[in-house]
Amino acid sequence: MIKVRFHGRGGQGMKTSSRILGTAAFLSGFFVQDFPIYGAERRGAPVVAFTIISKEPILERGYIFDPNILLISDETLLLDKQTDPTKGMSKESIVFINSNKNEDYFKEKIGAKVIVEDLTKIALEVLGRPILSTLIAGVAAKLVGIEQKYLEEAVKEELEQIGANEEMIRKNILAATIGYNKVQEVKIEQTESLEPEVKVVEVEYNDPEISTPVISFVANSYLKKTGTWRVFKPIIKYQKCKSCRLCYVYCPESAIKWENNFPVIDYENCKGCLICVQECPLKAIEIVREGE
Amino acid sequence: MEARKMKLEKKIKTIFDIPIQEYVAPGGIFCQGCGAILAARLILKLLGERTVVVNAAGCFTLAVVYPYTVFKASWLYTAMACAPAGAQGIRDALDILIEKRKIDKNEDLNILVVTGDGAASSIGLQSTITAIHRNLDFWYLAYDNQAFMNTGAQKTETTPFGAATSTTKPTSLSPLGTEQEPLDLFSVWVSAGAPYVATVSPSYPVDFLDKVERAKEIKGPKLFHCLSGCPPGWNYEPALTIKVGRLAVESGVWALKEAVNGTIKHTYIPKKRIPVEEYLKIQGRFEHLFKPVKNKEAIEEIQRKVDKYWEYELHDAK
Repeated sequence: MIKVRFHGRGGQGMKTSSRILGTAAFLSGFFVQDFPIYGAERRGAPVVAFTIISKEPILERGYIFDPNILLISDETLLLDKQTDPTKGMSKESIVFINSNKNEDYFKEKIGAKVIVEDLTKIALEVLGRPILSTLIAGVAAKLVGIEQKYLEEAVKEELEQIGANEEMIRKNILAATIGYNKVQEVKIEQTESLEPEVKVVEVEYNDPEISTPVISFVANSYLKKTGTWRVFKPIIKYQKCKSCRLCYVYCPESAIKWENNFPVIDYENCKGCLICVQECPLKAIEIVREGE
Repeated sequence: MEARKMKLEKKIKTIFDIPIQEYVAPGGIFCQGCGAILAARLILKLLGERTVVVNAAGCFTLAVVYPYTVFKASWLYTAMACAPAGAQGIRDALDILIEKRKIDKNEDLNILVVTGDGAASSIGLQSTITAIHRNLDFWYLAYDNQAFMNTGAQKTETTPFGAATSTTKPTSLSPLGTEQEPLDLFSVWVSAGAPYVATVSPSYPVDFLDKVERAKEIKGPKLFHCLSGCPPGWNYEPALTIKVGRLAVESGVWALKEAVNGTIKHTYIPKKRIPVEEYLKIQGRFEHLFKPVKNKEAIEEIQRKVDKYWEYELHDAK
């Protein structure tokens, strides 16, 4: 049994990746499970999805805590303590990271087989948007050893279901193929299929005072540092800025501060929605890709 | 009389009148480019930290996730149907405390209900109507993203004609997606007798905050029905949130107006309305009206309804 866990951000398409991998494996004749963690839908927030592939019927249900393959579509997730993408990983696990840094950068930190490719760059070239669903699905399909024709068929099937048009499907099949050819097939230490134990956990009754906690602090969410959500970074060119305040007023979450009659971007928290870039009447805000 | 007086005293005239104090911190779990949190940030700039935000389940559920909160104001979470009832409870508690002289009159708090359109127009409408009936003194910000966005874009009563949602997907049997007309929440509130009802857009912050500032003088239920762009739900790039709102207003799809004690007035009338097509075509939820073949009939119908609305309203204004 091969257990694959996908970590990404809302909007990158990790749920679709896990579905494509699942469908491709199913078409190749395996038993398959694929599902995301149900949560509120948020573009930019951490997302987790799972695919289990097996020659035998799969009796387990639930999240994957001991992945054989980990696909991380955004390196900044490694800093997110709540998500902790490498949790449950063993030394034999294979970790794929989408990043524009090199492999050595991650090897020491992670201590497992690490493969690094800059898929965002490819996505921007091929699809014109930083959506990685088919690229990552291509990588995953190659790693687990699925034939390319089944991958292509799965991409078509899944994207048709979510209403993509022919041109998008064609571009995404191309993207999946590029992802597929970026990596080599690897030997995977498989997990034994388990007979699930039946274990009933009793939940204790808690007084509402305990079970509904009170937050006595105000406006402390800036500690979450959502600056890691960015793909592109807005940079204000102060020579051009005429202090018209539009970027400041339109910044949805007050990530632009107004200081000494000029806007100042709080990069620890700016999520990179780029409304400021779009709305600046003087085009005084430029974009660079994060990490460049 | 009162209505006439209100027309004259414009309090927020330019973007420079918008205070630079912030009452919403960054770092909340909102989508990139969220129009709803922008609306909440703007209204709280004027209501300040001496406010209790009463929040029904929706996208704003994740504004406060233990141990973090985005608000400087206090926050109370209620079930989807009963945010105005929560507001009533707080109002009563404050009144009793003031009456017993436990707190000073100056220490009174604003009560701001913040819900999405799902709670405002369908699930929570009963408790809203009864709160208006009791003339409860509270503010209501209904951020209208025109579907149940928190759970993945299921249709609500305010989903517009022709929009695709996850429960009204365009198919060969129903090529339009949503076939119904949206509920007019503004008129519902006006006919229920609320003293102040306004439609706003975060793309027009001066208009929005001027309404908030002037409404401070009115006691009773006050609605701010805000069309707030939703990048994932409406399927457009996050950077376009302000542009989408602007196109909605300039095309006449979203009319900026207010009703003071029942007297309706448009606060912004686009001089020359742009075609609704401009507004529809940049959103993925209307893509099926353009591809693979353009559904001219449906687009013309939307245009006709907008034209009819303005013809009627402007004629009335004369």
